[in-house]
Amino acid sequence: MQIVNILADLNISYTFSHSTHLVICLLDLVLLFYFAWQGFKHKQNRVTFLAFTQIVLYGAFLYLSPRFQGVDLLSDELSKIMYFVINIVGGSIVLYALTYINSEPFEKAKKFSFIAILIFFLGVMNLIVTANNIELFFFLFELTTLCSYLLIRYREDDVAIENALRALWMNQVGGVAILLALITSVVYYNTIYFDQLLEVLDPHFLLPVVFLVIAAYVKGASFPFHNWLLGAMVAPTPVSAILHSATMVKIAPFIVLKLSPSFSPLLSTTIAMFGAFVFVGASLMALNRDFFKEILGLSTIALLSLMISLAALGSEQAREAALILLVFHAISKALLFLQAGILEKIYHLKNISEIDTLTNRAPRTLFFILIGFASLTLPPFGAFVSKFLAIEALTKSMLKTPVEVFVLLSLIIGSVLLVILYFKIITKLLSTRAFTQASKEKLPLLYKISSNILFTALVLGVFLLNFLSTLEVLIPLVLIFLIPVLLKRMDFKDAPRVKEYNCGEKGVFEVGMFNYTLNKKYLKSMIYLSVVFMAWHLVVGVL
Amino acid sequence: MFNLKKYRKKSPWILHYNAGSCNGCDIEILASLSPKYDLERFGVINTGNPKQSDIFLVTGPVTYRSRERLIELYTQMPTPKVVIALGSCTCTGGVFRDMYNVEDGIDRYIPVDIYVPGCAVTPELIIDGLIKALEILENKTKEIEDAKKLYAQPTDKEGVLDLTKSALKVDKNEKS
Amino acid sequence: MVEFVLIFLAPVFGGLLHGLQRVLSARMQNRQGPPLLQPFYDMYKLIDKRAFIIHPMHIVWALLHFISLWVVVGLLILGQNLLYVIFIHLLASIFLILAGFSVRSVYSHLGANRELLAMLAYEPIYILMATGFYILNGTYDVGLIRQEDTQILSMFFLFLAFLITMPLKLKRSPFDACEAHQEIVGGVEIEYSGIYFEFLYMAKWLEYVFVYLLLLLFGGNSIVLGSILFVGVFLLINLVDNSTARVNMAQTLKIIMWLGLSLSLINILGLSYV
Repeated sequence: MQIVNILADLNISYTFSHSTHLVICLLDLVLLFYFAWQGFKHKQNRVTFLAFTQIVLYGAFLYLSPRFQGVDLLSDELSKIMYFVINIVGGSIVLYALTYINSEPFEKAKKFSFIAILIFFLGVMNLIVTANNIELFFFLFELTTLCSYLLIRYREDDVAIENALRALWMNQVGGVAILLALITSVVYYNTIYFDQLLEVLDPHFLLPVVFLVIAAYVKGASFPFHNWLLGAMVAPTPVSAILHSATMVKIAPFIVLKLSPSFSPLLSTTIAMFGAFVFVGASLMALNRDFFKEILGLSTIALLSLMISLAALGSEQAREAALILLVFHAISKALLFLQAGILEKIYHLKNISEIDTLTNRAPRTLFFILIGFASLTLPPFGAFVSKFLAIEALTKSMLKTPVEVFVLLSLIIGSVLLVILYFKIITKLLSTRAFTQASKEKLPLLYKISSNILFTALVLGVFLLNFLSTLEVLIPLVLIFLIPVLLKRMDFKDAPRVKEYNCGEKGVFEVGMFNYTLNKKYLKSMIYLSVVFMAWHLVVGVL
Repeated sequence: MFNLKKYRKKSPWILHYNAGSCNGCDIEILASLSPKYDLERFGVINTGNPKQSDIFLVTGPVTYRSRERLIELYTQMPTPKVVIALGSCTCTGGVFRDMYNVEDGIDRYIPVDIYVPGCAVTPELIIDGLIKALEILENKTKEIEDAKKLYAQPTDKEGVLDLTKSALKVDKNEKS
Repeated sequence: MVEFVLIFLAPVFGGLLHGLQRVLSARMQNRQGPPLLQPFYDMYKLIDKRAFIIHPMHIVWALLHFISLWVVVGLLILGQNLLYVIFIHLLASIFLILAGFSVRSVYSHLGANRELLAMLAYEPIYILMATGFYILNGTYDVGLIRQEDTQILSMFFLFLAFLITMPLKLKRSPFDACEAHQEIVGGVEIEYSGIYFEFLYMAKWLEYVFVYLLLLLFGGNSIVLGSILFVGVFLLINLVDNSTARVNMAQTLKIIMWLGLSLSLINILGLSYV
């Protein structure tokens, strides 16, 4: 990818001194005690139990580990692409948050702390994609859990605190998994550095890798850990945008991409099938939701599992598909969440069923929502290119492992389900009555700037990908950009306007969306199946 | 240049509306669309949509509930359009003439071009009526029609159509 | 050069196909039927009518649907990447669905919802068909696939699955719930009149051309087999149309997904193992 060439001169390779290591250990323990105290304060036993489990495991690790020699911070091509995503997408969202938080009813100090935590979080993310030391990775992972906890409970009402504690204990399961990975890595391979681990890995004992992948599943909210992400949507919208769609949850496919060259074929097929299963499951679950941010959250879960599934396949084309999907999904989802925040703050609309029509009062927001949905499913945008590459890569890998045809089938069906999900929402947004006029939309400046930055990134990114030929990119782009051009130029002055046809009846038509609710027992069996799958992962790790 | 008007009679799309009839004429219309009498060889399609049809086939003497819908469907059809009144009830009221519950035919409410009598109207007559209607259609313009004065309408003092009264009970001495 | 003439005349071919199909339906029902050029008479008549519109955005979506469908047919004639063509066709269908959702009319929304659900039925089978061609030929390029010998025997089950989705795309019985005339009064087409309806009408012709061009891919480089397939499938579709009743959307999805997807999967697994 051409972006990497821009950052080619930036090579970080740094080793911490011994005292820095000690400071990090100390801060880690302080953090874990803070989590335990939070669980104790709010009487959540799971949080306290998991925090103490982590303290015990961390102590065991410190006891077992002698002095190690290795590079602590190492940047490779993958981390450079992640820098681009974190800083540009995260930066736009922080700009947006400056205006958003002003309209919340809190004191100045609390508002400042919001922005401070967001920027601190961006710093943690930049470090986490550069971390080569798995212990440092664990510390930064727990720091992101802390940021998530603090930001979800920002509004300090009962719902927020409950959801924040649920996010806390589920993410701590991921922390436990990373600690188990550390311990097995020390005991069996005698190293705690990613690059050294990938070199000495034996295909018959992949437990460190498996535990890290389980931590990725927790962070990426696959089944059965999906509830924390859905509950986290009560947080302010910039939090949902940064943490829970564009940046923090991207750690999941990032880790799988980092580790995937070392998977054995059996582990690779297992992860691919699990990711595909969650992709279809999450898309099906989203078909009956009403809360707009919850729909976006479920589609995030679905696409993250697709990224994990593609990254695990191992071939060069599949990894490229996963990477392109990662970058463009971050931009598109951030754009969509920003529009959801605008709908919430300026038009006071949270649920889709409350929306009457947006063409008259919010044409700009509507256009960005349409572009956001189109960029996740339609040509020429990045997510479409990644699906294209993925289908080709899966066909090739299917010839070696025929059972992966189910991954291909899930990819295709899940993509169509996502198209249906996104475009059925348009029912409520787009339906305009006869004889109405559009009005100009007034938005605060920073809302406009942040949306414009992300939109420009989406469109320019199309040209930076050198997979499709220029003609193939231009045809759909011209067709999509004909929409506003034709709308402005053609207004059909000499055709008389009439109202809609209703068989001559005088009733009023209330627009509704169709919903598809999954049977409860199918949902339960999906959750059980996912737990069984996780256990199978552990078995595969020792085969 | 290219005389588009002659193509109007090669593709007549009909809209069929039942304004309170006994369904006898409706059955005959459907029979004329069936293989024995085959209206489709003239290019006729039975669209259910006024915005896409040229010919308005109405059956039935107009009952109170069907008056508003009759006029609404008529106004939703784009010009040029032709109205065919099928069956004796639609032309003059037929066997229900002078009854308390019907308006005697549609020509009190919309301008009619062709009257096809019969009770029920036979398919051969329907085809005849349709062919005559096509010749009338060819000569119509695309302009939206001016308001016409039909048979005496029941209006109040400001000249607004009074939908609660029947057109039959209009006082002939009243100014309308 | 020939290809550009063919692309330019694609709506004309579509119109002739549509007219031929109406005549054939009529003869199967033992009646005379309209003249062959009837769709073109309809087109001239529609141009001459006064058009009513609801608002300009509604017309713009229909216009874009027509243009993108013509582009899809053009790309297929020029022999581009099959998977890419299927996805641009998805873009064209999305424009139609947005057109249906953009007015506040009951039947328009019903039709657009049904079109959206129908996508769940035919998209997977089309992509699996492209995958089958890729496994056999190593490329998605339509130009190269057309130069190979016919592969219909190795792709037989995929051919059957494609036949099952054909009535859905051509809007004939038993799968024409998306545009059920007289039930939902045409679905998305309901609020269009005059020349703007003509764009949707011509888009239907282009859909015919698109589906039959995909069918001809199964014929490979043999013109004889291609013609036999075309004529045979044309007669079969009309026969099925005249003898079956419409099924509702849930049943459409069940039939096509169970039958079509299982046949496609069996074929793909067979191709991967062999």
